[in-house]
Amino acid sequence: LKPAIFHILLSLADEPQHGYAIRTAVEERTGGALRLWPATLYGTIRRLAEEGWIEELGEEPEPDADARRRYYALTRTGRDVLRAETERLESLVAAARGSRALKGA
Amino acid sequence: MGGLREKSHLAVTLYGAALRLLPPTLRREYGVDMIVDFRRSVSPAGGQRVRPVFATVRAVADVVMRAPAEWRAELRSRGRAVGGKGRLGAGGPFDGFREFRIAVRALWRRPGFTIAAVSTLGLGIGATVALWTIVESVLLRPLPYSESNDILTMTHAAPGMDLPADLENSAGTVLLYRQRARTVTDVAVMDDAARNVTGGGEPVRMSVQQVTPEFFDVLRIDPAMGRRFYAEDAVPGPVRVAILTDASWRAHFGGDRDVIGRTIRIDGEPAQVVGVMPPGFIVPESREAGLLLPLWLDEVNNLTTFGLTGLMRLAPGATLEMAQEELSGLQMQLPEIAPGLTAELLERTGWSVNVERYRDRIVRSIAPTLWILLAVVGLVLLIAFANVANLILVRAESRRQEMAIRAALGAGRRSVAGMFLVECVLLGLAGGAVGVALAWATVRLVVARGPEGLPRLAEVSMDGSVLAMALLLSLSTGFLLGLVPLGRRPWADRSAALREGGLRATAHREGRRTRSVLIAGQVAMALVLLVFAGLLIRSSLRLARVDPGISTTGVLAVGVSRGAASTPADAAMFYQRVLDEARTLPGVIAIGAGNYIPFLEGNLNGTSFRIESRPREEDQLPVVVMYGAISEGYFDALGMRILEGRNIVRADHERRAPVVWINETFARRYLDGAALGERIRFGPDTTFLEIAGVVNDVRTFGLDEEVRPMAYLPMNTSVGGASTELMQFAVRLDAQPAAFAAALRGIVARLDSAAPLTNAVTLEDAMRRSLAERSFVLLLLGIAAGAALLLGVVGLYGVISYVVAQRTREIGVRIALGADVQGVRAWVLRQGLALVATGIVAGLFAAAATTRLLQSLLYDVDARDPVTFLAVTAVLLAVGAAATWVPAMRASRISPLEALRAD
Repeated sequence: LKPAIFHILLSLADEPQHGYAIRTAVEERTGGALRLWPATLYGTIRRLAEEGWIEELGEEPEPDADARRRYYALTRTGRDVLRAETERLESLVAAARGSRALKGA
Repeated sequence: MGGLREKSHLAVTLYGAALRLLPPTLRREYGVDMIVDFRRSVSPAGGQRVRPVFATVRAVADVVMRAPAEWRAELRSRGRAVGGKGRLGAGGPFDGFREFRIAVRALWRRPGFTIAAVSTLGLGIGATVALWTIVESVLLRPLPYSESNDILTMTHAAPGMDLPADLENSAGTVLLYRQRARTVTDVAVMDDAARNVTGGGEPVRMSVQQVTPEFFDVLRIDPAMGRRFYAEDAVPGPVRVAILTDASWRAHFGGDRDVIGRTIRIDGEPAQVVGVMPPGFIVPESREAGLLLPLWLDEVNNLTTFGLTGLMRLAPGATLEMAQEELSGLQMQLPEIAPGLTAELLERTGWSVNVERYRDRIVRSIAPTLWILLAVVGLVLLIAFANVANLILVRAESRRQEMAIRAALGAGRRSVAGMFLVECVLLGLAGGAVGVALAWATVRLVVARGPEGLPRLAEVSMDGSVLAMALLLSLSTGFLLGLVPLGRRPWADRSAALREGGLRATAHREGRRTRSVLIAGQVAMALVLLVFAGLLIRSSLRLARVDPGISTTGVLAVGVSRGAASTPADAAMFYQRVLDEARTLPGVIAIGAGNYIPFLEGNLNGTSFRIESRPREEDQLPVVVMYGAISEGYFDALGMRILEGRNIVRADHERRAPVVWINETFARRYLDGAALGERIRFGPDTTFLEIAGVVNDVRTFGLDEEVRPMAYLPMNTSVGGASTELMQFAVRLDAQPAAFAAALRGIVARLDSAAPLTNAVTLEDAMRRSLAERSFVLLLLGIAAGAALLLGVVGLYGVISYVVAQRTREIGVRIALGADVQGVRAWVLRQGLALVATGIVAGLFAAAATTRLLQSLLYDVDARDPVTFLAVTAVLLAVGAAATWVPAMRASRISPLEALRAD
């Protein structure tokens, strides 16, 4: 998975979010290393929605939420994908740790 | 804050435009969210993590880089919808994305070509966009008033009176139009002035605009706070009410909302602040005005004094032409209202009224210059275009084989053509982006440093329409470039191209012809621009040699207003005391005061006059003389010469001696040179003044204006009513100007604490500034001509080099067969010079036909000045020869062996 996709899925793991909040969350989590500018963000969101990994919520999760914003939530498939990808990354990290090159680090 | 908001608005506009690169379906669904998010990330409120400019660039780059992937996805899903037909890579006739990718790759692989093309186009487009921004903001954009196209102004012309400028309005004309004109609803007049204002702390000398109450109806504007002027505010005598502009409210009253109702002093008289104009309101005719004051129209005495600028609002349903026609028709009724202007006088002076849109009048002085400059940068763009077209042609030639291979592998005609087109459009867009950046920087520079006299300069800005124009220009430039090689159909004879190798010697005559036309065209355009620049340079040289009539070196001017003195006699005494004390300051060589000093802002009075010994015949027209009020020392401080008679002395203004000084032109034109002892009287005055001296001519109205008859009166005279509210003190100094100005300030403050001073300026600066607009135009034209010459030379060199390279083999054979080296060299030179000569001839015709447009900018130089034309021709020939010489030398050194081995 591309980092952008992974991070968007991850941002939605706990609770539904709107676009700008996803962006802010990703920026904070990566310490500013990954910035999702609008075209990439919404392009990816559309792709994910088409794939059925995320879905747009018809109504606001909280009554006082900003009514103009559209909220997105992880679907079942999305959650599975995220879990699978996390496991894959974990095994990668484990492999790297196991290799001699990084032993000293 | 306003600037920031404006900038973020521009950023959002830009971003919105960039979003158009994305597929429409995506835009429809998420476009609004993207813009909302983007605005949050550039607005200062949304955290300060990223600088807005950087964020804008990044966000736009994000769109551009994302666009291909989105289009691919779009096409894929579209393909799914119609049953797999237009699938990517299926080789549809022209699916856009693939061409785009190939084009990017092709351009990337030839960075030299790409950089050359993009920067050349960027220069051309940048210059054009910058000038277009100025033209659009200054000439085309409506004035910042409500329905401003319906705001008219009127001036009157009386050619028979020999006046330096058009006549404005008098109470007589205003009454006439108010009472009888039906095509205009409201008629207002304005009169700008300066007043000593005491409100907050220090007294300040402030520009004010006096307006009749109808001003607010004509402009359809109301103060942001308080009220407007009503008819009862306009009364004779000192004004009772005043309206602040937003700027002076903030500067002098700290933006205090309680300012309404407060009393300020204007020239010592109390007046109540009744309103504050909205921010951004531009006071007509007086941008720096800090106060609006009610103007009372003296309907008895001022029926024939033409000093008021008029503004009218067009009645609903009426047109400019109708208003002009009606007002012209009304002129013959003028004597009924202003009996001083008899029907006979009107007829004899060729009296007429000119009605025009107020905007047109504001920009009238600059409009021709701006259009010329726009045409000039248009030419530069054309030259840049020709240069890039040449590069593309050469490149198309070298890519014939690539094209033929693509065609042989089944690429359709349209696909190959499309690829070319996409490449060129990309080049155009990249050039446009560079150009917009350049233009943006240039416009900022011009606004910050442009000549002060340029009207509406502060309103110059790039807006959406300019950006749209830039986009259109870039796209059409790219598109046209793409069409250039199409005429040559590089894919046409694919077999020939594939076999090609040794045939290059004689092939592509067609391509060479296109290139030759382009080169000759470039030379022609460069010649036109060089002639323009040359004519202006010659004008400037002539101007530099004009004798201003005064000696400006080491002369400083400071304006002192009369302060508390209320009568002209008191004022004269006050000025006299300042003079007496200032004369003793260290370093003062000579000092004098006058209500007008050449090259400085100021008002000269003008009036008709009579000469005692030569009574005017009844049917003779009155002639007009301009006059100023001066003190002793004035002529000495300015370095003027007394040609006849005596200098002005203190007794002249102390005792109100009935004497006058005149200039040489006056003496020559009206007194046949024998002026001394003659007596003249001004306007309606009955006192005759004796001519006590004749002084040399001074270029009073600017170096490039003709000298007019001029008279100088002692400052305390009872005659003519020359205004001495503000006197300019001219001092010839042998010391630091700053120290003198400070000392003078001290003297004035001690004598009268209510008398403000203006800033000190050296006359050298003032004279330079009077030529600022001319220097500015000259600079721009010089740059344009230089760029044109450079591009032309580069193009010529490139083409000739290319010809030589292409014919290496032919030349080698000729040399092997015994052709002499000099003959070869001459042959190459001939090729180049033939192009140059063709271009020069075409350019000379074009220049001769167009230099008349420059007329208003020329001084003492004929529009078809042969010296300039010859010099420019020589320069182009020399430069053209040099550009050809290098490849010619290379050709003559070709070794036959190498040449034959070459392919």
